[in-house]
This record gives sequence, C-alpha cells and structure tokens, in this order.
Amino acid sequence: MIRKTRIILINVVLIIVLAVAFIGVTLFNKPHINVSEQAPNLSVEAIKVLSDFQNDETKANSKYLEQIIQVTGVISELSLTKEKGVITLSGTDSFGSVMCHLNAEENKKMEALKTGQTIAIKGICTGYLMDVILVKCVILNE
Amino acid sequence: MKPLIVLCCFLLATISYAQEKFLTKQGYTSFFSTSPVEDIKADNNQVLSIIDTSNGALAISILMKSFMFEKSLMQEHFNENYVESDKYPKATFKGQILSFDQLGADEKMVTILGDITIHGVTKNIETQAKIIKTEENISLKGSFPVKVADFKIKIPAVVINNIAETIEVSFELDHKPYKK
Repeated sequence: MIRKTRIILINVVLIIVLAVAFIGVTLFNKPHINVSEQAPNLSVEAIKVLSDFQNDETKANSKYLEQIIQVTGVISELSLTKEKGVITLSGTDSFGSVMCHLNAEENKKMEALKTGQTIAIKGICTGYLMDVILVKCVILNE
Repeated sequence: MKPLIVLCCFLLATISYAQEKFLTKQGYTSFFSTSPVEDIKADNNQVLSIIDTSNGALAISILMKSFMFEKSLMQEHFNENYVESDKYPKATFKGQILSFDQLGADEKMVTILGDITIHGVTKNIETQAKIIKTEENISLKGSFPVKVADFKIKIPAVVINNIAETIEVSFELDHKPYKK
C-alpha cells in the first residue's frame, strides 16, 4: 500500500516537473509577433500618424508605440538597406515622412511598386526620429 | 517680380545650407553581451545620424524599441525591465568628430568626443572610429564598451549571470548629403 502511494507520488511530481519545464521552454522560445497574421490595432493615414507625432510626441508614443498599425499613404521613395526594402510614405510637407522597413519576405512585392502610388502597409511602430518608423512591415495591396 | 527674387534668394540660401549636412536615417547599431550562460545580440537599422560638415558636429538618435533580438522574450525584458523604453524611448549622442577638416577619401581613425544618453542618464565618452569622407558619402564605423551599471540599468539577480556587465556597442553609419 505504501509502495503504491509512493509510485503515484513520484509520477505526479515527475509530471509537474515536466509540465513546468515545458512551459518554461515555450515561454523562453516565444515567437516574435507575426505581423502578416495579425489584425492591425489601429488603421490611419500616413499624414495623420506623422502630424500626431509632430504635435505631441509623448502622447503619440503612448498611442502608437509597439502597436501594429495599418498606414495608408503615397510612396515618395523606395530603397534598400541591408537587402531589406524601405518604403517612405510622404507627409504633408517636405519634412518628415513615415518610413516602413519591410520584412525580408516582402522585397519581391516592392519591385512592382512605383513612387506616387497610394499604398497600405501594416507594421509595428517603434517611434519617431525625423520620421515615424515602422518595422517588420508587410504590404497590403499591390 | 519681387517675390520671385526673394524666392530665388531663399532657394539659394537653403541649397548652400543643405550641403553642409550629411545624414542617414538607416544607420546600423548593434549591441553584444557575452556571458558564460549565453550571448545576446540586438540590431537596430533605423538609426538617425547627422554630421554638420562645417564643424564636424555629430548628432545621433536611436529608438530603443527598434532593437531587434533573436528571442522575443529578450526584447520584451529589454524594453520593459532594463531600459524602460516607454519612459526613455530614445538613446542619443551629441558630440564632435575631432580634426574633421583634415579628413579625406582614405580611411582614417578619428576620435569622437561627446555625451551619450541612455535610460535618461548622460555620460561623457571618447571613442575611436574609422572614417571615410568623400563628396557623396561620409562613413563612420566603430565600437565602444558600455557599462550597464553606469546608466542605472538594473539587472535582476536571477539573470545576473546571463548578461555581461559591459556591453559592446557597434555602429556603421553611411551619411549622404542632405538635400530636400
């Protein structure tokens, strides 16, 4: 009887240890957010995001930082940095824009784009320097 | 007629002014921490760096949330617990490239002197960097050590062995003439 209880106890402890280890490893290896699979938290015009940051950066930070946002705007520049595409969406004046750093997989789609075209892009906002910066962007319409 | 002359003067003024600034919005910075437990690396490709070629002044702005880690949990801890990027979203550097007017197309080592601000704490630093200066490009490349404790970044006791006390910060900045 005592022996049986002991075996059960050992099994229970073993299961708990394994479960904790499993949860630990899964948490540790938690994947990055997959932008293309997630619905945007916010959907805005490029001009609006830019003016929000230009008017009150602190307020805009709390609204946009680390959010997946969908931005619509006119392409003013297409470029490559370290083999990754960067799409610049123009603002109202010549100062400031929304710079969208693309996911590496999106480069092919960029080839079909032209400056002056209106486009929707989804990405994670990391803040504002001279421009509003979005990373891990995916192109929504071509 | 008069407004046109004024406009021309204004345009000329801005053109000559614009040539004095070299800039990059896609500069690269990374940091590397090595410890017996693990190596941690994060990259940032959205660095803004401006050089004023009239005097060699250098200004750099970095978004903390733009640092990309291999593991999302590391990135989360970095932003939320260590550098508190909601409170301090940017790291900045303001300084001077010494003997800037003596530089040219040949790669040279220069001394950069200035104030770096991370996590709301400002420190004076001096570092060496490789520089190439031409009409179309000014490239800066180098690295320097940063002591985590100097910037009041607290590392919890649980992970104290996972993170180095001194972190190596590298940068590669390719500035182009600023015209707009």
